[in-house]
Amino acid sequence: MSISVELPALGESVLEGTVARWLVKEGDRVEQDQPIVEVTTDKVDAEIPAPAAGVIEAILAAEGDVVAVGAVLARIAPAGQAAAAPPKKEAAPKAAAAALPPPPKAPAPPAPAPAPASRGSAPRATPVARKVAEEAGVDLRSLEGTGTGGRVTRGDVERARPAARPAETPAAAPAPAAAAAPRPAPERRPFTADFGHYAIQEGDKVVPMTPLRKLVAEHMVYSKLTSPHVGTVAEVDMGGVARLRAAHKERFAEAQGVPLTFLPFVVHATVRALREQPALNASVVGDAIVEKKDVHIGIAVETEKGLIVPVVRHADLLSLAGLAAAIEDLSARARTKRLSADELKGGTFTVTNPGRQGNLYGFAIINQPQVGILRMGEITKRAVVRETEAGDALVIRPVMFLALSYDHRAVDGAPANAFLFRVKELLEQAEFEL
Amino acid sequence: MAQALQIDWLGRVAYGEALRRQQELLEARRAGACGDRLLLLEHPPVVTLGRAARAEHLLTPRAALAARGVEVHEVARGGDVTWHGPGQLVGYTIVDLAARGLADAHAFLRAIEDTLIAALGALSVAAEALAGTTGVFAAGSRPPRKLASIGLGLRGWVTWHGFALNVTTDPAAFGDIVPCGLHHVAMSSVARELGAAPGAALFERARGAVASAFAERLG
Repeated sequence: MSISVELPALGESVLEGTVARWLVKEGDRVEQDQPIVEVTTDKVDAEIPAPAAGVIEAILAAEGDVVAVGAVLARIAPAGQAAAAPPKKEAAPKAAAAALPPPPKAPAPPAPAPAPASRGSAPRATPVARKVAEEAGVDLRSLEGTGTGGRVTRGDVERARPAARPAETPAAAPAPAAAAAPRPAPERRPFTADFGHYAIQEGDKVVPMTPLRKLVAEHMVYSKLTSPHVGTVAEVDMGGVARLRAAHKERFAEAQGVPLTFLPFVVHATVRALREQPALNASVVGDAIVEKKDVHIGIAVETEKGLIVPVVRHADLLSLAGLAAAIEDLSARARTKRLSADELKGGTFTVTNPGRQGNLYGFAIINQPQVGILRMGEITKRAVVRETEAGDALVIRPVMFLALSYDHRAVDGAPANAFLFRVKELLEQAEFEL
Repeated sequence: MAQALQIDWLGRVAYGEALRRQQELLEARRAGACGDRLLLLEHPPVVTLGRAARAEHLLTPRAALAARGVEVHEVARGGDVTWHGPGQLVGYTIVDLAARGLADAHAFLRAIEDTLIAALGALSVAAEALAGTTGVFAAGSRPPRKLASIGLGLRGWVTWHGFALNVTTDPAAFGDIVPCGLHHVAMSSVARELGAAPGAALFERARGAVASAFAERLG
């Protein structure tokens, strides 16, 4: 009586394997536990050992065949009852083919009228692929098979299904919202409703978008679709900074060779607040929030060609003078188009200062994949109430509205407001080394 | 699961030599003469073809590779074609899955992925596994940037081969192949993801992180 060598279940998610290589031939004598055949499944090459010593009586699967778990790969005549009939070498491959489960062939279409749910027009696919496709609701006809003879494999189906590993997804619950695997960034789907089009008329001026304009446009839409933006505003008394600036402006310009603007003060305060509250110096990565160890500040610069955001790297390691010099250098080169691609990458937070007029405050769009952006409003003299020893008084102060947009996926209101308040506090304390 | 895992750092070892070492340990493990082992090492430049390798995924003729001192080996492991060489931390896992009550080869692949992701986290690299493919990738990278390749051999229920983590590898080293037959995947490295200078110090840190993660999860 011969012993069958079956393809063992190599794993819960493994339902079939490909015969990669026979290590023995029919008629060979094998020891117990000697590997006789290699079977591959995705990323695993399993050597199947002989369950007992004996002679290989029949090999029942050819190299390249896809076999199901439990299928018989070979038969061994146990030692002592060596095969009575010598194996017929010539006949082996044919015998093997005959013993295999019939390869799935595309069945003839049942009727000329193609019923939508009919399997008749389904392409060639492995039985497992068919089963998985059915469970996952994947239409086999939409897939291009990569298996032998263009057959659709289980891998093809899994690549096509929306999310999660099979082991993690209960077969009966294809609820997309429950998917545990990291989701790709939302895709921009064309809107289904028609919101109207403008028909260009004679006399209209048509300005084609430059590549930069298109990129900016894409990024803005992408950011708005990706991050739920929330805005919050602080009123900042810039009196201290203005006094400091006025006192050092000329000497600074002479010594450093760059003008002393308000921007480096704001960036300096921002960086210090980010160091204290790293939640704003972060990115959403898959299902995680990653707080970054480095602080690289993007500075929005409006150029002739459009909006560019060069990055001051390691802004937390720079003095106020260092920040002023870096910002000046980057914006000058942004305007003359002499920035390298690397200088536009890797920002962890952005500060934008879009100008002095008509800019009380406004909310910027987050520079992806960051989670926050600060927008400076114009600095104007306002009448504000201050407490003095003689009681409350109306005083005239240079005031700036500072607006923070943050990604509510990553940051809640309280920490975002605390961060903004800290920036305001640092600017009002005006303790900067010059 | 109180299985001990002995972890050894072998330094730089030629591929053939490491293969012999693995086979000795594989047989010893099957005979019960030793416990589970993790061999950590680095290879001189070598291209290996798994059982599922397609000829067209080797982009440079073998003779040209040989002239550059790059060996080519065909090996009994799952997976397609890959490259090993300096800057890449290779780990060979000689583990008896049945003895651990984990007679599931693919569950072990997932365990290796999870362990490497934990080790990368300790190095401040956010990494993830992707549904439908084996390996470890930089988190959220689209198209995916691959950090580690995994391929196992199984004799009975004892595993061999294992993983290759690109630590300070020059991604250009993969130019001769279509790694793992994945055309759309770019190879990356820990150094590249961190924006750090590739150096011996980083490699050593990675080695420590991987050893700790395996000791913690499989020790």
